[in-house]
Amino acid sequence: MIGQWLSQIGLVIRLEMGKTFFSRRGLWVYLLALAPVLIWLAHSMIELNQRQERQALNAAHPVSTAALRSIQRGMIIDDVVKQVGEPFAKREFRRPNINFAMYQYTDGDNVFSFQFQDDRLMNIGERDRDTIPKDSLVFASVFQFFFLRLAVFFGCVGVFTNLFRGEMLDKSLHFYLLTPIRREILAVGKYLAGLIATVVIFCTSTFLQLAALSLHFTGSEISDYLAGGGWGHVASYVGVTAAACLGYGSIFLAAGLLFKNPIIPAATVLVWEGANIFLPAALKKVSVIFYLQSLSPVVAPPDANMPALQKLLVTAAEPATPAVAVLGLLTLTILVLAVAARKARKLEINYSTD
Amino acid sequence: MNDRIVLDNVSRFYGEVLGVNRVTLSVPPGITSLVGPNGSGKTTLMNLITGLVRPTRGSIQVLGISPSDPEKLFRVCAYATQFDSFPRGMTGFQFVYSYLRLSGMSHDDCQRTTAFAIGRVNLGEAAHRKIAGYSKGMRQRIKLAQAIAHDPRVLVLDEPLNGLDPLVRAETIALFREFAAQGRHVIVSSHILHEVDTISDQVILLSNGYVVAEGQIRGVREEMSEHPMQVIIRCTRANVLASRVFEQDHVVEVRLHADGGGLLVKTRDADRFYRALNHLALDGVGIESVAPADDNVNSLYEYLIGGEESTR
Repeated sequence: MIGQWLSQIGLVIRLEMGKTFFSRRGLWVYLLALAPVLIWLAHSMIELNQRQERQALNAAHPVSTAALRSIQRGMIIDDVVKQVGEPFAKREFRRPNINFAMYQYTDGDNVFSFQFQDDRLMNIGERDRDTIPKDSLVFASVFQFFFLRLAVFFGCVGVFTNLFRGEMLDKSLHFYLLTPIRREILAVGKYLAGLIATVVIFCTSTFLQLAALSLHFTGSEISDYLAGGGWGHVASYVGVTAAACLGYGSIFLAAGLLFKNPIIPAATVLVWEGANIFLPAALKKVSVIFYLQSLSPVVAPPDANMPALQKLLVTAAEPATPAVAVLGLLTLTILVLAVAARKARKLEINYSTD
Repeated sequence: MNDRIVLDNVSRFYGEVLGVNRVTLSVPPGITSLVGPNGSGKTTLMNLITGLVRPTRGSIQVLGISPSDPEKLFRVCAYATQFDSFPRGMTGFQFVYSYLRLSGMSHDDCQRTTAFAIGRVNLGEAAHRKIAGYSKGMRQRIKLAQAIAHDPRVLVLDEPLNGLDPLVRAETIALFREFAAQGRHVIVSSHILHEVDTISDQVILLSNGYVVAEGQIRGVREEMSEHPMQVIIRCTRANVLASRVFEQDHVVEVRLHADGGGLLVKTRDADRFYRALNHLALDGVGIESVAPADDNVNSLYEYLIGGEESTR
């Protein structure tokens, strides 16, 4: 019997594959998955471009990092120019009784801004080039705030609610219900088909995002990062993405069976997941994002300079251990799938009212 | 009783709207037609039998299997619904093959069975074309092929003759007869009464969600005592026969045909009338033919449902 069920699950997955990957309704899921890749690609292109500009400026106004770092507050303009040469950009302006000036230098990677008041150096600004640790923190924010909470979330809404609801709209669900297959098996088969599709689409997106992000780093920087635990980060991000599909997938499969309009449950879950940070500990566990945040490979607590809102978004208040997080997410998924299977068992065909 | 489809006091409501109410039936093998106007509950009854909807009250058994057990039911039962929609992008062959595979058949068996089923509905040449490009009649036939592919003992078909041209219609009816002759159930709904009359072994007449009559057409007709049976007689001396027939106390009306070559008799007791007619024939009245005039589904429909329809 179990062999037959497994075979039927496999057949349902095969039947659903084309619909989940190539349905016209699902085109926007690809756009959601592609959007962050494009953002990181654009970021890398801009960063590469800026680096080339800085290197060109440094070639025209050569100065070393050490020389620039040797400049101290209180020095006068002439001494600074004598030590590091002419800046690549110079701005001067006057106020009654005070003269301001700003000299900018670059060592090819970083930009230094020296601010003078009445010819004396008052302030030194330094805009460092992007580094992998710096970008990985930004990536963690975008991954958790945009990618998991919006892209994967709405992607799963699109794929999983359509597994049953889409066929009701197409008036073709009855063909399944008129075959010798348990409705629970059908629900599991459809869920797995949706899961395979979303995992392939969004995990590929995660991998491509990391690849796009790394484009502006040098080969040695990337090698050092990967050798120093970078592969673990990549695997974790891909794993968290798959876990997000697993959790949100079960919720939206159930939503597609329980509600005629999936927008209502999607909005409700979105609000619930968004409010997760404000919920008491017991209620936090009844959400997918809690477990995903606990599994995310972001350093917690994050960088001390991180803005408060960003900090709130990327860190779980009381993160669970990875084992607890995986177990919690699986339990939540199984419970929701059980509800969906029960609903599938009692499913009726009444297209005119659906 | 395991060769029957049994509905026991089945009701189904859609909110406050009645689907069917207090339906009790025991349907034997053969071709059974569900007849009734739109909204009478024919499709609801078919959906109940196949588990696409569940009864609000009562119970259903199809050859002893509950419709809530699709795993068992659809090994013996098939249903071609009225929905003219199909999974996107499939060819006729893929459509039949894919759902047949779910029954557990091997790939090779499935290929063979699919080709055979499609051949039975004469759609072999179009089998590998997309269903989206099929005509209405072809779509009806591919649905039928999908329904008969696993050789079911119970075949439920909602308006199966819609959109079929006369030749295919005749072939399809022959297919139903072949199924019925093998002791299987063929349950069809139809609006085309003369076809129902031709193909059905028994009828179930529905109106406003209630079964108003069921059984063999003649048996149902005989039980309708408030509507006298009508008999058309063609004979040589129609006026003489008319006066002799009218002497019978169960004859309520006699009308002579305009050509003088026959008459229409309305009687409350068909058996006594036919016995009396035998005596009259022996007395030398030249009777050429005798035929019941309202012993068909059309008349049953008119008597049982037509009145309600017109008063609505």
